[in-house]
Amino acid sequence: MKQLLNRFSPRRLGHLVPIFVLLALLGLFLSGCDTDTPQNTFDTKGEVAEKQAEIFYIAMWPAIAIMILVLGGLLVIMLRFRERDPKYVPPQIHGNTRLELAWTIAPAVLLLAIAVPMVVTIWDIGREPSEDAFRVNVIAQRFSWEFQYPEYTDEDGTPLSVFDQSGFHIPAGREVAFYLESVDVIHSFWLPKLGGKLDVVPGQVNVLWLRADEPGSFSGQCAEFCGLDHANMTMTVIAQPQDELDAWAAEMLE
Amino acid sequence: MASVAVPKRSPLSEALKGVRLSAADYGSIWSWIATVDHKRIGILYGVSAFVFFMLGGVEALLLRVQLAQPDSGFLDPDAYNRLFTMHGTTMIFLVVMPMSSAFFNLLVPLMIGARDVAFPRLNAFSFWLFLAGAIFLNASFFTGDILNGNLGAPDAGWFGYAPLNLREFTPGHGLDFWMLGLQMFGIASLAGGFNFIVTILNMRAPGMTLFRMPVFVWMTLITSFLIIFAMPIIAVALFELTFDRLFDANFFNAEAGGNPLLWQHMFWLFGHPEVYILILPAFGIISAILPTFSRKPLFGYAFVVFSGIAIGFMSWGVWVHHMLTTGLGTVANSAFGVTTILIAVPTGVKIFNWMATLWGGSIRFRPPLMFAVGTVAMFTLGGLSGVLHSMVPSDFQQQDSYFVVAHLHYVLFGGAIFGLFGGIYYWFPKFTGRLLNEKLGHINFWLMFIGFNLTFMPMHVSGLLGMPRRIYTYNGEMGWNLWNQMSTVGAFLIALSVLVFLFNFFRSLRHGEESGPDPWDARTLEWSIPSPPPEYNFKEIPTVSSRDAFWHQKYREDETGKIVPVLAGGAVDDEAPEDEAEGEHGHGIHLPSPSYMPLIAASGFPVIATGLIYDYALVPVGFALILIGFFGWVLEPATEEE
Ligand code: HEM
Ligand SMILES: [Cu+2]
Ligand SMILES: [Cu+2]
Repeated sequence: MKQLLNRFSPRRLGHLVPIFVLLALLGLFLSGCDTDTPQNTFDTKGEVAEKQAEIFYIAMWPAIAIMILVLGGLLVIMLRFRERDPKYVPPQIHGNTRLELAWTIAPAVLLLAIAVPMVVTIWDIGREPSEDAFRVNVIAQRFSWEFQYPEYTDEDGTPLSVFDQSGFHIPAGREVAFYLESVDVIHSFWLPKLGGKLDVVPGQVNVLWLRADEPGSFSGQCAEFCGLDHANMTMTVIAQPQDELDAWAAEMLE
Repeated sequence: MASVAVPKRSPLSEALKGVRLSAADYGSIWSWIATVDHKRIGILYGVSAFVFFMLGGVEALLLRVQLAQPDSGFLDPDAYNRLFTMHGTTMIFLVVMPMSSAFFNLLVPLMIGARDVAFPRLNAFSFWLFLAGAIFLNASFFTGDILNGNLGAPDAGWFGYAPLNLREFTPGHGLDFWMLGLQMFGIASLAGGFNFIVTILNMRAPGMTLFRMPVFVWMTLITSFLIIFAMPIIAVALFELTFDRLFDANFFNAEAGGNPLLWQHMFWLFGHPEVYILILPAFGIISAILPTFSRKPLFGYAFVVFSGIAIGFMSWGVWVHHMLTTGLGTVANSAFGVTTILIAVPTGVKIFNWMATLWGGSIRFRPPLMFAVGTVAMFTLGGLSGVLHSMVPSDFQQQDSYFVVAHLHYVLFGGAIFGLFGGIYYWFPKFTGRLLNEKLGHINFWLMFIGFNLTFMPMHVSGLLGMPRRIYTYNGEMGWNLWNQMSTVGAFLIALSVLVFLFNFFRSLRHGEESGPDPWDARTLEWSIPSPPPEYNFKEIPTVSSRDAFWHQKYREDETGKIVPVLAGGAVDDEAPEDEAEGEHGHGIHLPSPSYMPLIAASGFPVIATGLIYDYALVPVGFALILIGFFGWVLEPATEEE
């Protein structure tokens, strides 16, 4: 009984304070991610971003479990095996092959298991854009974006070209294929709520497809350091129903 | 008298001999400059690395002040970009790597029972060339108009991606200093890598088989192999960049048919092994600390060693995980995603081995142990976020976001730096004869631990909320404000902890409690000799018959299987061999003489580099210095007659 009381003495409980603080912080962080801030990668508004978030969760929950296991384990070990008698020399255990094989194989199996959905998703979202995707050519330059719309041309056949960094329009509910080109250095095209980024590499054309499920306005920015004003290489993309988009384009062409 | 048989010495060579002898006086400042003693070179490495640690830290504080609030005007974008480039470059190349070299130098000969490294003068050359490169790199600050607040440092990031690194996009000399400084640093590391490989393979005491070596020595060996294979890759990349920038070649220029991604392949083929070069020494350090303070041998020595070797091999097959968003395609991304996930296995195994080492022990909560356990805990978090990165589809969201910044600091600061601090607390008494103050050590640890987590934990969140890396400003509407404020406060806590450490360091140097040879009841050979160790390390080269050689001199199993101290014979604490009778150079031990040649040879490199940037006339001068240094090195006697 006395031992039991001793176990829960305030001094002992004091050791647990860090755990509570950590758990509280973990809660704070998890809730921090549950907001609708403009570039929140969890507040997904499109198919690609959704699938990427799913993969994240598949790995995140086991990671949090392992984190709690290891940190908790360390804490327990530290308390339970702290020195009581400075003269005491514990048995000299050199290892245990079976145990060690177990904790090598178990994580390997766990990791390979989460690798399966990962590879499936790589191929799923890494496919070519579909035939009827809406094509946009994105031209990146230090430190702004240009969207060209081959589907909308003027009388001479020049495509509609938009430089307004807060007014790039795309169709909602339809796949959009972004053909990414750079005229200078490497940039990275990123619209977090619609999907992960793809680099814009001079000398090659990278193709990224995304889809906005609903109409809305999406904030994005360059994600590869490209020089002095990289921080301000931002954009806002507006997704709207096809007919509204067509009307907008017609107006822009005038 | 004047016989022809005695070669006549020229006044010059007599004078040179005089200079060398003045350096042999083991107390003068010259004896430090000309030293070839591995312990002194280790101290030089450690002190320089710590100075750069503070410099890199100040740069980080400036960055954090700028980011503390949205739309801040504290730094202009130009200064911000230069500071983050210098911060990253400094911390990786001028802090963690040389700090690890400090421990290699201080410990490897002592742990394997040797009197020095295999090539003492080459060792001194490594240090001076590292220092030359480091100072050269930092000199770039002054190439700008610094009086008007315009820094001149490089500004293309520590990874210097092409084609941003070309003259067309990054004019100014900052980047030239960066590429040439790193080149020097690479040569220095290569020389050090070869030196330690030869030392470890050839200079072990009798009976010290490879599998009786302390884990720290194993980690040094693996790191050294990684260095000699990784450094040439970045050297080639830097050479190509040098040609592009200085002689208008077109390796990376897309407009002329060059390939910008070539740079990334080379950089990360170097860069991923590099991250293990940064972490394995710390793994070695905590593999020494945890057993000592739990009074148990390392659990699963073979597993820890072999997983280290496995990491050494696997780290060559994962570099594309830094390039997942460059458009290499689904096949490459799948393959490298899986290899990256798998490298977490040998990395993770060690964590369980360390926990099992503590399990069942008698754990003493001294500062070295606190830092070592801190390392295990924080590295675990960094490893886990590494696994999250290796999930390719979601990495498309995390790449180049603050989530990566969080990951890399958990492994590099939480892993490497915490481990190195643990090493400082652990071995300080060995090399100074005094203990660092214990209370201040605990304060240091807790401030750093809390500050570290407060700084970097919120970066996971800001990254997931879509905050990209390397931006000097952000909009207040993005929901990143709180997390950035936390990070900035945390950064100042870390700075405070470093001040506490410095105070402790200088105070303890003079007033610290005397430690004696073996203050921690430790297990490896370096504790069997006096603190600080004599110049020649071991009066008699020990003969080794087991792992944890020193422990077995002190303890044995009695009939019942209980562990008891060996009463007589073993070199326990106060009975450690003293060397009064023999005098300083007892036993006629021949040590290599001090030499100025390594310094002279190393000093040629920055001269060449300056010449390449400003005036080719300096290039032959630099080559001449190198030649003088190397010729003197070959011609001077390795051991001075007295
Ligand atoms: C469990 C093992 C590890 C895994 C699976 C892993 C995985 C990764 C991945 C996939 C990235 C790229 C993230 C991105 O840019 O999107 C990354 C970045 C990085 N990792 Fe690790 N990592 C591991 C351990 C380490 C270690 C031990 C270190 C160093 C001590 C380290 C240092 C870094 C650094 C410095 C970067 C950022 C490089 C940059 O872009 O500037 N990692 N890691
Ligand atoms: Cu950019
Ligand atoms: Cu890597």
